[in-house]
Order: sequence, then structure tokens, then C-alpha cells
Amino acid sequence: MNIIVNAAEGFMGLFDAGALTFVNWVSTIVPKVLLLLVFMNALIALIGQERINKFAKVCSGNVILAYGVLPFLSAFMLGNPMALSMGKFLPERMKPSYYASSTYHCHTNSGMFPHINVGEIFIYLGIADGITTLGLSTTPLALRYLLVGLLMNFMAGWVTDFTTTFVMKQQNIELKNTL
Amino acid sequence: MAEYRAIKVERGSGGFGGPLTVMPKEGKDKVVFITGGGAEPDIIEKIVELTGCTAVNGFKTSVPDEEIFLVVIDCGGTLRCGIYPQKRIPTINIMPVGKSGPLAKFITEDIYVSAVGPDQISLADAKDAAKMAVKEPEKTQEKSEEPKTEPERKYKYSKDKKVSETLGETSKSSIIQKIGMGAGKVVNTLYQAARDAVQSMITTILPFMAFVAMLIGIIQGSGFGDWFAKLLVPLAGNGVGLIILGFICSIPVLSALLGPGAVIAQVVGTMIGVEIGKGNIAPSLALPALFAINTQCACDFIPVGLGLAEAEPETVEVGVPSVLYSRFLIGVPRVLVAWVASIGLY
Repeated sequence: MNIIVNAAEGFMGLFDAGALTFVNWVSTIVPKVLLLLVFMNALIALIGQERINKFAKVCSGNVILAYGVLPFLSAFMLGNPMALSMGKFLPERMKPSYYASSTYHCHTNSGMFPHINVGEIFIYLGIADGITTLGLSTTPLALRYLLVGLLMNFMAGWVTDFTTTFVMKQQNIELKNTL
Repeated sequence: MAEYRAIKVERGSGGFGGPLTVMPKEGKDKVVFITGGGAEPDIIEKIVELTGCTAVNGFKTSVPDEEIFLVVIDCGGTLRCGIYPQKRIPTINIMPVGKSGPLAKFITEDIYVSAVGPDQISLADAKDAAKMAVKEPEKTQEKSEEPKTEPERKYKYSKDKKVSETLGETSKSSIIQKIGMGAGKVVNTLYQAARDAVQSMITTILPFMAFVAMLIGIIQGSGFGDWFAKLLVPLAGNGVGLIILGFICSIPVLSALLGPGAVIAQVVGTMIGVEIGKGNIAPSLALPALFAINTQCACDFIPVGLGLAEAEPETVEVGVPSVLYSRFLIGVPRVLVAWVASIGLY
């Protein structure tokens, strides 16, 4: 009899720990992310998609704008995965590089701005949770995550320019470099 | 007989549905607007000008449904925005409102378009107009035989003045109504934003939280966490280990397998977080760890992501290996830079 009781208690114990975590998240993360989401959705609706699109066209002229600034702003304004769609304003040859940079941006900025990637926020949140447990503030971590990301995501896009050239030679495909 | 032309209505910023192509015809030439306090929205003027139809204020006059070719509303997402789509009458909502309200299921893209301003309305090109004409040619003939019956119905507006004149006198000029409609638009934009936010909260965030929370519970409660962490901590516990972890995650093809939904990265991240919380891993390593567990970021998603950017098939062909290679090249440097940048953190 004791064995059954212990087994049952052990089984329920598995979910007690999970439930505590869940309640903790729902009461702390959900309200904050929700309100941020509301704000961002409203801001995008008020600014208007068209103005964002116009800006993207300007960015196609320059690598720093195309792989540094544009993905950052697209991620901030549109979030994952819609940020990837802004690559359509770039020439074909730049699209893989934009993809490489903007997908990273959807993660590295999500510490500061959780609305960017709500579905995959736990990459950041999982680790940041440990920092919170220690009683430290997570903001320095989020900020450095963003700053290192800003530099290295640009590098990721830029490196992809070279790998794209390499693969083009390998496959004997020439992609257009103009719009 | 008045000259009627087809117009094309597209959705505006934050809008839903459309594009709709609509055209008035004899006996079915009323655009009815049912908007804040009966004030005439600015798109009505453009619709009338382009199509040659008649505008009717739905709050003042009722029009039989079969004479309406288009309805303009400014509904914030309650009952009204579903009524006309339910009757299959093309509906324009000035507010950026999607499927909502008790009749949400009738609000579909082929009958409803929202967040429409004057810029979203244009004359339909020949192709669209032809499509319209093919759709309902026979009805035009039926209707044209009995246009004279109209005045006998209970219209208040048609005796001695044009509808537009009546409306011009009564409502269009009122500043208060304009302010009211403007404020209404802002409030509705916020309301819709909130609705979208709650929706993504329910459909993506909460399920993931529940899933991860359950995993954490089982991992912690069963002792598996301790076992796995012992495996992981040697890697995650110091910078060199993290670089190796980042290297493994970025290996082409393997990276594509680790990618889906970022689930693996999220689970590993959560485990490292638990270890940091226990003090087994230095907190400053959180930063390189964030980069190390995610060097494979989105490697599974490349074709879809390039598709979102409207890439040509050749671009996808080149892009997939190209991004896999570039992830491999940039993965370890990312962890290194993050490691250096973590100096002085905590």
C-alpha cells in the first residue's frame, strides 16, 4: 500500500513543480508581454505598413543598412516571422544574407523586447530565469544580448554574402544583384 | 441610365480581408454607410465619385438588402461588422477590425475588408471588372426592367433632394462628429491591437508556457535534470565548453535538425537557467550561453523564410546551403564575442 501511495505522490510531485513554474510565469511574464504586444500592435497599425515598406526600399542600397539596421527595425516592428518578409525589398543576391541576419535579430532582441518572438522566448527566458533565481536583474543581460547581437547579426549577414557567392559558383547559378 | 464603374477596395494598415471588387448596377446601386452617429466617412465621397452610385445613410433610411451593393461601417468588432457579411453583402469596415464579434465566422476575405481609407479605393482594372461581369450578368437584366418602382418605397431622402445634399446639410460638416470618428478610430485600433495580442497570447505563448513548465516540472521532479545537467554542465559551465556547444549546434545539416520551433534550444536554455539558479554555472556565462545554444537559429526555416521575402526558386536553391554554411562560419565567433562581452556582467 505504501508503495502505491509513494508512487502516486511522486507522480503528482512531478506536476507540482511544473505548476509552480507555470503560475509564476503567468503572473509575471504574461501581463507584461501582453501589454507590450498591445502597444506594438497599435503602434504598427498607426504608423502604417506602407511607411515601413518605404523605409525598407531605402535600405537596400547599403550593407550596413540592409543587414544591420533594417533587420533590427523589422524585428522590432514586425516580429518573428513577419520580419523576414522585409527581405523582399532587397535584390535576390542579398536575400539569404538578410534572412541570416533577421532570424538572429528575432532572438537577440527578444530579451529587451519580448514581443518580437513570443513563440520562442524561452531561449532567453529559460536562461534569464536562472539569473532571476539568483536575485539579480536581467536587464544587463538583455541589453548585452541585444548589443552583441547587433554586431554579430550584421556579421552573420555579411558572411552570408560570401557563402552565397561561393554557393553560386558551386551550383553555377547567378543571382541578380539589382532590384 | 447612369454610368457605373467597378472599384477595387484593398485592406489598409492593420486591416483584414479583401481585396474586394464591387460594382453598382441599375437597381442595386446603393452604398449604405452605417457609421458613428450618421456622419459621412470620407471614403463615401470617393466611392460615389468613382462608381457613380448613390450613398445612403443607413441610420436615417432603411434600404432593402437587394438594392445594396456595398456597405460601409465603422464597427469596432461587435455585432455590426458581421451582419452584412452574413447576408453576403460586400462590407467595408473603416476600423482595422478582423474576424470578431458574435458573427465572426461570416467575416471572410471574399466579402469583407477593413481599415479602409480613401487610398485603399481605386478603380478596378479591366481584368477585375471582367471577373465581376462574368459573375452576375443575368441579374443585371432582370433588374433593369423595374427601376421605376424605387420611389414608392419608404425613402425619406428621395423626394426633392439628392441624398448627398441631404446628408451634406445634416451631418457631414459637424466638427464634433469628425472628432468623434477620429477618436473612435484610435480607440478601435487599440482595441484591435489588444484583441490580436490576447489571441497570440492564447494561441502561442500560453501553450508553450504550459509545455515548457510541464517539462521543467518533470525534469526537476524526476531527478532527470540533475543527471542531464551533469552531462551538460561540463560543457555549459565554462566558456570553452560553450564554444564547443555552439560549434556542435552550427554543424550544417545537424543545425537544420536542431532548429524546428527552437524547441531544443529552449529546453537546453531552460536547463542551463536552472543550473545558473542553483549556482552551478556562473551567471555571467548566461550571455555566451544564449549564443551557444542558438547557433542553429532558424536553419530549418530557410526556404519558408526566403519565401516570405518573395525569393525566386534559384535564390532558395542557393540560399539554403549558403545560410547553413554561414551559420557554421559565424557560430563559434558569436559565442567568442559574447564571452568577451560578458566580462563584467554580474
